[in-house]
Amino acid sequence: MSELVFYLLAAITVLCALGVITRPNPVHSALFLVMTLFMLAVFYIILEAHLVAALQIIVYAGAVMVLFLFVITLLNLKGDPDEPAHPLLRIVAYAVAATLAAGVAIVLMGDAGVVPGGAGAGAVLAEGFGGTRALARILFTDYLVAFELTSVLLLVAVVGAVVLAQREPVAEAPLTETGEDA
Amino acid sequence: MNPLPLNLLPPGADYAAVMPLLWAFAAAVLVLIAEMFWPYRSRRGVGWLTIAALLAIAVLGRAPSEAVYFGPIALDGFSGWCNGLLCLVAALSVLMSLDTLEVNGVTRGEYYPLLLFAVAGGMVMAAATDLVVMFLGLETMSMAVYVLAGMGKARRRSNEASLKYFLLGAFASAFMLYGIALLYSQAGSTDLAAMAGLAGEGGTSAVTRLGAALLLVGFGFKIAAVPFHLWAPDVYEGAPSPVTAFMATVVKAAAFAALLRSVLLAMPWVAGELQTPLWVAAAATMTVGNLAALRQRSLKRMLAFSSVAHTGYLAMAVVAGTSEAAAALLFYLAAYAAMNLGAFAVMMLLADRGRPAENISDLAGLGRARPLAALAMTVCMLSLTGIPPLGGFVAKVSLFGAVLDAGFYTLVVVAVLNSVLSAAYYLGVIRAMYFDDADSVAAGGASAASRVLPSRPALTVSILLAALAVVLIGLSPSPLLGSSLRALASVAGF
Amino acid sequence: MVSAESWLRWIPLLPLLGAVLHVAVGYRVGRRATGVLACSVVGVSFLLALRAFSALVSAPEGAVLADDVYRWIAVAGFNIDVRLVLDSLSVVMCLVITGVGFLIHVYSTGYMAHDDDYARFFAYLNLFTSAMLVLVMADNLVLMFVGWEGVGLCSYLLIGFWYTDTAKASAGKKAFVVNRVGDAAFVLGTFLLFWALAPGASELGASDLGASSLRFADINAAAPGLSPGLVTAAALLLFVGATGKSAQIPLFVWLPDAMAGPTPVSALIHAATMVTAGVYMVARLNGLFEAAPAAMTVIAWVGAITALMAATVGVVQNDIKKVLAYSTVSQLGYMFMALGVGAFGAAVFHVMTHAFFKGLLFLGAGSVIHALHEEQDIREMGGLRAKTPVTWATFAVATLAIAGVPGLAGFFSKDAILAATFAGGHYGLWLIGLAGAALTAFYMTRLLRLVFFDSFRGDRERGEQAHESPRSMTIPLIVLAVLSVAGGYLGVPHALGGHDALGSFLAPSVSSAAHAGHALQLSMAVEWLLMLVSTTVVLGSMGFAWKLYAAGPDADVVVRGALGRAWQWMASAWRVDEAYERLLVRPIGRGAGFLWKSVDLGLIDRFADGVAMTAGVLAETWRRWNSGSVQHYALSLLAGALALVAAVLLGGGG
Repeated sequence: MSELVFYLLAAITVLCALGVITRPNPVHSALFLVMTLFMLAVFYIILEAHLVAALQIIVYAGAVMVLFLFVITLLNLKGDPDEPAHPLLRIVAYAVAATLAAGVAIVLMGDAGVVPGGAGAGAVLAEGFGGTRALARILFTDYLVAFELTSVLLLVAVVGAVVLAQREPVAEAPLTETGEDA
Repeated sequence: MNPLPLNLLPPGADYAAVMPLLWAFAAAVLVLIAEMFWPYRSRRGVGWLTIAALLAIAVLGRAPSEAVYFGPIALDGFSGWCNGLLCLVAALSVLMSLDTLEVNGVTRGEYYPLLLFAVAGGMVMAAATDLVVMFLGLETMSMAVYVLAGMGKARRRSNEASLKYFLLGAFASAFMLYGIALLYSQAGSTDLAAMAGLAGEGGTSAVTRLGAALLLVGFGFKIAAVPFHLWAPDVYEGAPSPVTAFMATVVKAAAFAALLRSVLLAMPWVAGELQTPLWVAAAATMTVGNLAALRQRSLKRMLAFSSVAHTGYLAMAVVAGTSEAAAALLFYLAAYAAMNLGAFAVMMLLADRGRPAENISDLAGLGRARPLAALAMTVCMLSLTGIPPLGGFVAKVSLFGAVLDAGFYTLVVVAVLNSVLSAAYYLGVIRAMYFDDADSVAAGGASAASRVLPSRPALTVSILLAALAVVLIGLSPSPLLGSSLRALASVAGF
Repeated sequence: MVSAESWLRWIPLLPLLGAVLHVAVGYRVGRRATGVLACSVVGVSFLLALRAFSALVSAPEGAVLADDVYRWIAVAGFNIDVRLVLDSLSVVMCLVITGVGFLIHVYSTGYMAHDDDYARFFAYLNLFTSAMLVLVMADNLVLMFVGWEGVGLCSYLLIGFWYTDTAKASAGKKAFVVNRVGDAAFVLGTFLLFWALAPGASELGASDLGASSLRFADINAAAPGLSPGLVTAAALLLFVGATGKSAQIPLFVWLPDAMAGPTPVSALIHAATMVTAGVYMVARLNGLFEAAPAAMTVIAWVGAITALMAATVGVVQNDIKKVLAYSTVSQLGYMFMALGVGAFGAAVFHVMTHAFFKGLLFLGAGSVIHALHEEQDIREMGGLRAKTPVTWATFAVATLAIAGVPGLAGFFSKDAILAATFAGGHYGLWLIGLAGAALTAFYMTRLLRLVFFDSFRGDRERGEQAHESPRSMTIPLIVLAVLSVAGGYLGVPHALGGHDALGSFLAPSVSSAAHAGHALQLSMAVEWLLMLVSTTVVLGSMGFAWKLYAAGPDADVVVRGALGRAWQWMASAWRVDEAYERLLVRPIGRGAGFLWKSVDLGLIDRFADGVAMTAGVLAETWRRWNSGSVQHYALSLLAGALALVAAVLLGGGG
């Protein structure tokens, strides 16, 4: 029964993900992405990782995606780009991607322990698994370094965003006036 | 319900292991704040502060005699060695950028803290004994470099380089993460110690090999190996020259350091299981890099392809997989950093009407206008070609010798033939400096004297330092070679 | 019998010091001081070499002077020392390099007197001398490679010295790149030996000698114990390296072009010293080469064919320096022929005498060119005997010497080679050598007659202004002329009542233990007969040329008519250059061009620059991204990943 639910949800997730990359309208793509992220949250719930599921919805499906939509609207990116990709390029790209996906799928299917119902199934979860306390404990012990590093990474990203987004005061950059080769 | 323990540390943690990283991040934050409140219009002082910080970290980042650990961070001979290399090379690249940032269109002071963040990220990559932590270090470094590449804000090329590098880098990172996830599925951990055990009696499982292959795709992108190298020429050319110099040396060294520790040392089975594809990639990388460099008119782009070619030589060490080859790789990285920085520094000496001059033809007449700089450039080019007794020669001898020792004769033959081919374009630079003066003046071009920036002491000093390092590494390689061997011997379990 | 002499290092160091000083202060101290400095450092090196020579002569046979400077590269299984050694072989080379080098330095002070870049010229010349000395004094292959590349680099810099001329710069580049091809073979041969001598390489017939240091002595000693295939491969690879430096088939094409450099450079580098590096290397590694008979056969035949082919080309050249260039290629061919038949001593003897007379010929040619204000075409010369008497007299001596007229240096050394070839039973090679000697006599006589005899044919004004060169140029000519006569008496064969002093001095260095006492002896009568035959052929050929060219350059038409189609081939140097262009240069260029066009177009150049980053630009870039190179790049990344995954899945399994 649970396997059937899993495959059903998985199929929906993959279809949504395909929607992200096939829709010509960027707003539609973004909405499909929201759907995909939601579906992932559902998986987390199935795996009894409740906190992660909640965070997934709040942070990704919520905050991040809203920002995405804002940017898309601001940039007025509607419809097809002016110069569509060469059809041959498109075909080649699909073919390569499909072959790669198929190859990976074959390997994963052929190897017990990765697909559900394999070796990992039926493992007994520790008490309180997926709760805030368990997550906090592991985050501040085993994964302390990774956790702190992530904060550094975000700091770098913030600095970078400010640097790139801020307009240049013209007086400070005399060189911009001379320009470059046309 | 027990309260959380007050001691929030991973088991067996020793603060000494993370101190170099903490110093590095602290320095980056300090410089970030200092830059904000810097009272003067010129930010050279921030640059000097950055250099001082880097030199201090190079000293503080040395390894204790006994390796110490803080969870997934190791401070052993290997990470100590890499700390020194990354910081010293970065310090030299900052020294040469003091005079050249503005002419290259970099007007913002965040250059310095971002560069420090990138170095710190590189240090994490070299020290990480866990794939996730290594990946976070890689992303920290990459994020900083994406922005650095776009710091010539007024220049379209710089913006484009930044965006291109970011998009493709994110794409490559996805492969790497997928690979890490697959390895996790097999080992049950992302700890490097668990990776060696993945090779059982009958070799590795298909999923393990797939994971390792995807991990290598990510590394292949960062080190610019064929066929993942296409971004390199565009990004190198578009980025402001001081940033390009940093990318070609520090970023490459950090990526190779992580590749060494995470793949070569932790997954010794990779060299065996993926031998043929790695062999082909190494040979293709050096050949494509050299052939493409032959036709370049832009010095920067030529150096970009030359960098691809040298990635090919370095990748041979991964194919060989022996500790001698790995030590030779470390040595090669140091020699390569010195000669490449020298070449970039001389290029930055040139400017045409306030814009950087980056074509090989712009070098015409430098031999007369700036004999010392031209001599330094000659030394660097000859070293890149592999002419004895310079650093590049000793690096090639020890690397090729180690690969030969591991039994890859054909690969060494390919490499030797490639380095013959490379003579043609490195020589073109020397020829331009010494022999092309009269031609260009006759053709109405500006004479070299008008293209050389007015006196730039910091840049001149950095040129001389780089050339001196190339010569010294060549004449007396033993200390550096010995230290790189010791660095490898210190990695636990190898 | 190795005695440590720590002063040996000064022999190469002094010229290096001179080069550094020229660069550092050369622009400030004036021409005179520069010239004195340049000559004196080489002169002192010569005196030091003399000191070493006298020490070696008085020492017991087989003595070696050594100077351990320091350990250079020490990686696991790989110890390379900077160690200089002088034995009888290298000391002879040292004397030639510093002695002839000194004379050419002195000559250059006169020849280059009016050049703008006096100091730079002497910096290169001193640097070259230093590198050449490292090459011959090295005690291992890697250190020799330092000198090997150093001389190549100086050659490149000196060929392109007059850098106003693009043709000269590309001649320099050609020399360097062709030499790099030879160097690649040299490096591969070195690696092969390194691997063969490395510890733990005992399978495949490799020996175990502990840490591999690539010393010549070790290689020579170990060679007979290695598997024949390996030794042959290493010997052939090193020989290909030698063909690059010493201008043999198939890599000789750079030497004639190298004549673009100043004439003293041609004399020093492209006649007397650098081009003999290959000969020296083979002689140095005689143990290795003797263990590879197949390689020796190849060397002998390549040498002989080169000697003959270059001589034929020399017959039809009209540029005075080109004639001498092909003559050099031809004489080097003789030396390799001698090496190939195992007559290492004879080869080194010829290296020495050739340095004297070919150096003299080039310097004399320089004097003529100097006198005629850069005229190099011999059809525009003639009758210079009266105007430039010293040059004429010395040039004539050198011509007689190279042609092999009895009593002069070339006669003895060439005879030693021919006799050794005959004694070894290589009659075919001997015949080729004899034919080459006849051609040499022919084209040298043609040159002498067209330049110095009859009446002046060129521009009248030029002819009247022709004058003898200054003393700084003529004195070296005279000294070299004396050496071109006297040098031969160091090796008078036993058949003529001599003792072959040079031969016995060299013997301990050039005969490996296995071949000690193995002498190629002919009976007195046969040796006399051979000399008689070669002397008759040479004199006959000279007489024929003398008669023929009484008619001036018009006699070329007769030669052309007689040769028919062959003339075309000779005039284009057997079309080797053309073949390279077609088979190598253009395909590589096309390959690079293809990559350039197809793979590396880049999106960057198609953008307009100079717009600040704004939301509009971002959108624009986004659109471009959708159709631009980033997509291609990403696709390539994806395809690469696919290839890697496919290789893993299809190839891996165990």
